[in-house]
Amino acid sequence: MKKVIGSLLLLLLFGSPCIGQQGADALVAESTAFLSAFFKNRFDVRVAVIRFENNSELTDTAMQKIYQTLISRLEGEKNIIVSDLLVNFAGGRGEFNLGRVDELQYLLDLKLIQNKSKTGLGLTVFSRLQDKIVAVKYFEKALGKGEMEYLNTRNFAFSELGFSKLLEFESKKNLMDVQSISGGEGQDQYFFYYPDEIIVYLAREMRLEKYSQFKLEWTRPVYPVLHYEGRLLLLPTSQGLVLTAGNNFSSTAKVMALRDGQWQEIQKIDFVPRQHLVLNQNPYLVGTRYDEGRNYLKDKIYFLPFSDPANQSGIYEKKIIPAMAIDFSVREGQLQAVHLIDRDYHYHLFNSEFEEMLPAPEKKGASLAALGGEWLAVSDYSRATDQLFIYDIQNGGQRPVYTGKISGEIQFISAGVWQKVKGFWTGVRQKQDDLERFVVQFWGKRDG
Amino acid sequence: MAKGKLLLIPLALALMFAIKPYYGGEIQIRLNEPTSFNLNTANYSNLIFYSLIYENFFYLKKDGEIFSNVFQEYRYDAANKTLILTVKNNLSFSNGRPLTAKNIQVSLKIFMDLDLFASSKLSQAVKNVRVSDNQVAIELLADNPDILDLLTAPELVVLAENEQSFSGLFYPQEWEKSHHLTLKNNPFYAGGRAYLDTVRITFAESQLPDLFLSSPNQFKENFQEFDSGIFQNIYLCFLQSDVGQNTKIALFTLLKRFNEASGFKYRELRTLTSEEESPVSIQIKTFSPQKTTSILKSSDIKLYILASLSNLEKDLSAFLKSSNLKIETLFIDDSQFMGFLNSAAIKFVLIDKIFQKKIPAEEKISRILKESSFNQFNAGYLRMLSELDEVKFSNNQELLMEQIARISEAIINDGFIFPLFQKNYSLYIRKSWPAMEIDYYGRPLLQKVSKTND
Repeated sequence: MKKVIGSLLLLLLFGSPCIGQQGADALVAESTAFLSAFFKNRFDVRVAVIRFENNSELTDTAMQKIYQTLISRLEGEKNIIVSDLLVNFAGGRGEFNLGRVDELQYLLDLKLIQNKSKTGLGLTVFSRLQDKIVAVKYFEKALGKGEMEYLNTRNFAFSELGFSKLLEFESKKNLMDVQSISGGEGQDQYFFYYPDEIIVYLAREMRLEKYSQFKLEWTRPVYPVLHYEGRLLLLPTSQGLVLTAGNNFSSTAKVMALRDGQWQEIQKIDFVPRQHLVLNQNPYLVGTRYDEGRNYLKDKIYFLPFSDPANQSGIYEKKIIPAMAIDFSVREGQLQAVHLIDRDYHYHLFNSEFEEMLPAPEKKGASLAALGGEWLAVSDYSRATDQLFIYDIQNGGQRPVYTGKISGEIQFISAGVWQKVKGFWTGVRQKQDDLERFVVQFWGKRDG
Repeated sequence: MAKGKLLLIPLALALMFAIKPYYGGEIQIRLNEPTSFNLNTANYSNLIFYSLIYENFFYLKKDGEIFSNVFQEYRYDAANKTLILTVKNNLSFSNGRPLTAKNIQVSLKIFMDLDLFASSKLSQAVKNVRVSDNQVAIELLADNPDILDLLTAPELVVLAENEQSFSGLFYPQEWEKSHHLTLKNNPFYAGGRAYLDTVRITFAESQLPDLFLSSPNQFKENFQEFDSGIFQNIYLCFLQSDVGQNTKIALFTLLKRFNEASGFKYRELRTLTSEEESPVSIQIKTFSPQKTTSILKSSDIKLYILASLSNLEKDLSAFLKSSNLKIETLFIDDSQFMGFLNSAAIKFVLIDKIFQKKIPAEEKISRILKESSFNQFNAGYLRMLSELDEVKFSNNQELLMEQIARISEAIINDGFIFPLFQKNYSLYIRKSWPAMEIDYYGRPLLQKVSKTND
């Protein structure tokens, strides 16, 4: 399971001399040198590891570290453009997002082998264009017991360099979502979506001040719930700011527009919009439906052409699997991938063609969110205290970059912005004795 | 058992504080087969069954907390002696039809018209019930800030105009007579949809389900036992004054012998309520088998039995058949029985009453007098009940016991009711179902019961 990034990697990245050319490092260095020499007369060679198997005594965590070290070294090679397609390490095998193989020129196949006291790394280079193996190389080094233990140890990235909690405050209960938008005069507005109202705040230094609020009247059929869930979407359109608000207790979502300073309902939609996307150069509202009154989503994704907010024709749907949580990673308006936690709490990744990658074997929490096409945040499958796992998904893979401990249970995660810093809003329920409180946190990178 | 409970508490807390709960799954409950979906809470099994398909106005927890899923607010206006109930917005019955304040008003009136002690207590306190928008105003005759207590009666439920609409956590989906009944969760349930998809009610005793009623101190392994505090009393009632004393005692003796022949499934009952709390013990001397037979052989007896005792049907019919007496048993639903009462010459009835141990003895004796004297209720009894009320407020335990003894003696001397048997019930729940709560009336609260999927 790929939860952590090794501090070994970070130390290497920042040129720490303390490790030196030890066994694992030497294996990686020699592999990189071999590939550098192999590609030396070529420019902008697009390369990715697409298979990595482990027959050594090392664990999946150690595999992670060796893989990350290799990738970071290859990223330092001027003539190589390396794509990190790793989704997960489990059971001695790496799982890779093969949806992007068409963009590559060379594919790398790695294998770790135990040969008595030595550990070997087998490297096969496959040319996709020539459709044949073009190089095979094997390196072998002795890995000391101490180094093996160190490689097998889980450890974390430096929080100062990764995501950290930038904001925390208490909210009233049943908050379902937080979204923000740049308001006039450069001041951001923060929309807090509750079952019966939306409250808009403005940021004043490190706190929020209430700016306005408007009630949401839901009409029959209403499905009373034990757990409120919903999604808010803010859409700047040519006709002004439009918002959509859907949830698990109303069969329709509201489309509301700001007219003369008042939010007015202009339309109802039969699904809960979650993302605004461009597909085939046409804008779409993309969303899902909750199972009425329950905390999970049905097995369809809906696409509604959205050039005119009041028009609801041309809707189409794609079948997927029922989900506890779903989000879409999007880059420049284009769909990159669909991230989903199923009803058994397993993570699934679908590419932009809705082809499924291998599901992760271990369980996750039931909340996730993608921030553009860059980051993915997932909650933990835990019974007591939660964790927030943040992955780098820029290259189509999933590189864990930070894990934050959270006191309480994450109710939702939403991608957002706080004071110009991109990151994730989390709604957290905390309970001690008979006292329950709802806390909102913002997790972002301090360097923006 | 205490240790088991202690172990379950942390588990329940952990689950309350876990990742998103899982929706789905089925629980199997063994109960007596109901006769219809019309509310009938005459016995413990029914009390549980109807609580699954009908929503109570208010629930009373074991710790005394009162809560409601139907009302978003309830307040007592002392100045106007009025209890104001505000119904939640946009509620629906199981078929999607609106559940409004009007339904609450009608349900309340139906309850107050029932021939139940709790109903008459409430109707005596209420002056009128008004509705405006989503509010129901219950105006009282006298100031009573504790009026809410009277609204926690298990028989006070939200009824729809249509018989196919249900207000409860579940609604009936399929009924295979004599075999099982499947309840599906109500998507419009006022308190929020249940985690479980279905409840399968089985009637046969062949295998142990997830939840069932049985005598205390059995099934130690795999099951958690809840002492519900519920006991069931069975009485033989004589509804006509022309029944001779010998016939009464002979029939009484025969039923005692039936209990003996079927392995003493019930305990002997020698009081009107229970041994622990009753100031008087009733000794009815039984006849010998020969004398019983000689008295009853020339009689043509129709013994009416309330449907809540239908579990006795098979064994009792076989026993009576073997006795070669002309005694016909007729099982009859509560609602039909009340209609029948004034039109037919019903002489012999076997009835049952369920009681909660914690309910004061004076309330139990009042219930027996009010609900079991049927057409023989008279001004004398009314006066005794008023006297009992007065004594209650005097706070004198001795006087209270004297009055209870006086009423008991009067009832027995008038000869319309003979106490027969008693049975205590425990509720058994399979240990794989954590976080199950039981209310004051011993009913399982299934709304937040979730099947773990890991």
